[in-house]
Amino acid sequence: MRTDSVNYMGESPPETQGQAGTLTPWEETTVVGKPLPRVDAYERVSGSAVYTQDIVLPGMLYGAILRCPHAHAKVKHVDTGKAAKMPGVHGIITDSTPGANIPWYHGAKGAMSRLFDPHCRHEGEEVAAVAAESPHQAWDAAKAITVEYERLPFVTDIEDAMNSGAPPVHEGGNRDGDSSVYQRGDTAKGFAEADVVLEETYRTSFEIHTPMETHASVAQWDGNRLTVWDSTQGVFAVQSSLAESLGLPLSSVRVACHYMGGGFGSKLDLSKHTVIAALLARMAARPVKVTLTREESFLCVGNRPANIIKLKAGVKKDGTLTALELTNLGSGGAYPASSSVGYLVRDLYLCPNVHVDETNVFINAGTARAMRAPGFPQCAWALEQTMDALAEKIGVDPVEFRVNIIPTVSQVRNNMPFTSTGLKRCLLEGAKAFRWKEARERPRQDGPIRRGVGVAAGMWGWEGETVSTAIVKLFADGSVNLNIGASDIGTGTKTVMAMVVAEELGVPLEKIQIEYADTGTTSYAPGSGGSQTVVANAPAVRKGAVEVRNQLLELAADELKRPVGELVLKDGAIQTTAEPIKKVPISDLQILQRRQMIVGVGYRDRGPEGKVALPFVAQFAEVEVNIRTGETKVVRFLAAHDSGRALNSLTFENQVFGGIAMGIGFATTEQRILDSRQTGKMVNANWHDYKIPTAMDVPVDQTCISIDPHDKECNNTGAKGLGEPATIPAAAAIANAVYHATGVRLKQAPITPMQMLSLLAQQQEGGNR
Amino acid sequence: MIPWFTYSRPNSLKDAVKQLSVPGTRLHAGGTDLLGCLRDGVVAADKLVSISHLAELRGITRTGNGSVRIGALTTLTEIAEHPYIMEHYAALSEGASSAASPQLRNQGTIGGNISQRPRCWYFRGDFHCLRKGGEACYAVAGENQFHCIVGGQSCFIVHPSDTAPALIALEARVRITGPQGTRTLPLESFFVGPQKDFTRENVLDAGDILTEILLPAPAANHRSSYRKVRARGAWDFALAGVALSVRFSNGIVQLARIVLSGVAPVPWRVREAEKIVTGKEIDDETASQAAAACVKDAVPLAKNEYKLHLVRGVVEEALLAMKQA
Repeated sequence: MRTDSVNYMGESPPETQGQAGTLTPWEETTVVGKPLPRVDAYERVSGSAVYTQDIVLPGMLYGAILRCPHAHAKVKHVDTGKAAKMPGVHGIITDSTPGANIPWYHGAKGAMSRLFDPHCRHEGEEVAAVAAESPHQAWDAAKAITVEYERLPFVTDIEDAMNSGAPPVHEGGNRDGDSSVYQRGDTAKGFAEADVVLEETYRTSFEIHTPMETHASVAQWDGNRLTVWDSTQGVFAVQSSLAESLGLPLSSVRVACHYMGGGFGSKLDLSKHTVIAALLARMAARPVKVTLTREESFLCVGNRPANIIKLKAGVKKDGTLTALELTNLGSGGAYPASSSVGYLVRDLYLCPNVHVDETNVFINAGTARAMRAPGFPQCAWALEQTMDALAEKIGVDPVEFRVNIIPTVSQVRNNMPFTSTGLKRCLLEGAKAFRWKEARERPRQDGPIRRGVGVAAGMWGWEGETVSTAIVKLFADGSVNLNIGASDIGTGTKTVMAMVVAEELGVPLEKIQIEYADTGTTSYAPGSGGSQTVVANAPAVRKGAVEVRNQLLELAADELKRPVGELVLKDGAIQTTAEPIKKVPISDLQILQRRQMIVGVGYRDRGPEGKVALPFVAQFAEVEVNIRTGETKVVRFLAAHDSGRALNSLTFENQVFGGIAMGIGFATTEQRILDSRQTGKMVNANWHDYKIPTAMDVPVDQTCISIDPHDKECNNTGAKGLGEPATIPAAAAIANAVYHATGVRLKQAPITPMQMLSLLAQQQEGGNR
Repeated sequence: MIPWFTYSRPNSLKDAVKQLSVPGTRLHAGGTDLLGCLRDGVVAADKLVSISHLAELRGITRTGNGSVRIGALTTLTEIAEHPYIMEHYAALSEGASSAASPQLRNQGTIGGNISQRPRCWYFRGDFHCLRKGGEACYAVAGENQFHCIVGGQSCFIVHPSDTAPALIALEARVRITGPQGTRTLPLESFFVGPQKDFTRENVLDAGDILTEILLPAPAANHRSSYRKVRARGAWDFALAGVALSVRFSNGIVQLARIVLSGVAPVPWRVREAEKIVTGKEIDDETASQAAAACVKDAVPLAKNEYKLHLVRGVVEEALLAMKQA
């Protein structure tokens, strides 16, 4: 049974104890908000940044994993005899290796598999692993392991999996528990009251995260203590799962991640290869690095589920929504993983009657992991196209239609108020900057190239954890060490956090040393995902910096014999605000010279009492469709985001542009393709055939607008999340623009030329409504 | 992981031919696809014989009679950006510049582009397909959205080159040096479809090296173009494309060549469409008729019927654009 929680993690966030003296967000800032380049830009660009894949330890071995080549099979026999004798090989593990019997993939009734489970339920499941002196030796040895498989019937199509005769992925059938149902009001009554009711089925495709840096782990043992460098979004999540897998106390497992090349959700959790690296390292008594190949990364470390979403919507002529009914059939792959999408339908627009029914089905394919706004772009694909169609039916502009049904409360949380909602401003100010009216009213061209514009809105439904601790240390010369547990997954976390310190202590960024994402040396922070990195950590960092400043001023007051209230910290010096004016550089303070360091600890406050802080977005797309060739080109894009205060307007903008690119991928190019009718194997597990957008697919004309509602309640920085909202409505905005251009409604993502041509041909024959 | 192989870089074409005549050897030029094929086990090699530094195989030269010789090692970038090619052989420069990505074009050669292996994902992937010595073509009943609609038989690849259709339209010839000496032939006769032999894509035998491409002197009132449609804006092969080469006289088509990419196991010349436009002005009607003729014999597979619309659309667009040019 899945819970019907609003959180994609499935649990309410725990909270750390707040400190006395709550800070309110800044009125004015001198550093925060500026478009500052990254503090580690030089390292990243020059190549001196050390990523997990770059780590080389003395005596280190390389691991390779032998994976099941079949969509569904049972391992009958594994022969490692030949591989074990090959040059450079120091260890081989299989299911029968002592200590390798580690439970994996947990369902309602406990573990559903194990590390090297002989029952392989999808292509790429782990069968054996080798450690050798060189990567080549490891791969050669892995290939030399002979495995006897009994191939089993498979099912890789979501709808086929629901058929009674479908091959079972697990005993007990392919339904992953009961359907989850959400209900408020009475939808039958709502539809009866509607002037227009539309019903349509929308489909989305499986997407793969494909971060630039593939997953990698380096494991090193010192006696019973394990250190793992892992390319991860969350060192603490990996530490706890790894400790549990290996039966070790948390204090014996240290996990660190410094430079990191993207994750998009696929690196939030512990992966099998990390445990395998640890087991191989223990067996060989040498450090072991396991780096997944690009092909492996397509099969084994997550995906965005595909969904079949039936959406029925009722509206009155005056633009009031009367009912929304969503039925979702999705698949999180071979093991339990959420494929639910219903959030937006329940919370984005005012609607008294809502019914959501979601079913997750097992198929013989890789298990899903959170992918940038899990469930949300899929739902936006259906909901925002439906909103577009409703607006057309009642003859209202799609921007205006949405503006009039914006809630100020979270309907899915018993009408708990939002701390702020800038959605109306996002729509109106975005439309103005996009010159929406002008573009919308342009007459439709008759030629082969058709232009159109579309809009879509969205929100993100999760506030994030409110647990995080930051330690700020002021050195005797006035420079600073900032210690946080968060990973910087490429979004600029280090830069933004250093800016918060700089804002409070007046230290230039280059004098701030940052220690981060290491369970051995930093304090707990939640995983960098779910749009929570800034909102969970920046408030704690600010409190830590303020704590340092307060201590410093108190010590200075003693030394300078002035009341603390007459002292301020500015430009690296203590200054008096009353006559006689004095200015003492921090490094001249005797007390600091004796103590050498001031340490401030900042804890994240609880979230606002009785309110919920969530980000909102409206995005506008302009497309050109070549109706002869089916080519769709996104030529202009504007994103208006209420993510509260933008702490760094440059990283903010970059985050949004990245989100748009992912949305363009969802809308036009990306889809996992399985050979469903023959082998069940993935045919496009590479970067050529799995098409992520290139620079040529992203418009030159892109604009990002930050709509800041000056939220005083969300947290002490005024910032809300941004990573997920950036990608939520992008694909739907593009689909609506294509409809505006051509009159063709796109029910299936992505909109490839293949699909576009078929739909245009149907339209010619009068088949498309 | 790339398997072990030995690497040799002979100093002469003659030596290269000799070394390449030994079984288990493979020719290395730009290497952009070869190394990936070795890594993925698509092809095997004990030894790579690199011709990459044979200077005589590189460069673009004009001969006395105005024809052009392009060395097989000339990179796609060099061709795409060559002013004389751009002016007189637009289809070729457009074909070269629409291939792959800038990095690959800087490294990849014209000889390699013409003789590259197919991109069929069953051939490239972990499937023991007919072309790799297996029992059957997986595309027949499988994921065949990118496969051929004409010219397929037992194997349903499409030829991936963007430059080859352009060169055939431009009446290019190729020179091949092999153990038996040197021969030249029209590029059109260079390719081998699966009806003839599904294990190869062209006439090159062991020891054969494609050394140069010869283009006839540019004719007066001649225009050419290459238009490619792909699923992604860069680094993608053609869903379908068309190379056109047309000689006009007072707006009337004197001579036309129409060669399609992305639809057949070899670059696909459509003589019937050429006949339709010859002796006429290009207008909406002739363009539409010629476009229809391009797919007259096509038999789509389960998932590539869209190519019928696409070919018609792209041919029509290209013909009308040529009229306007």
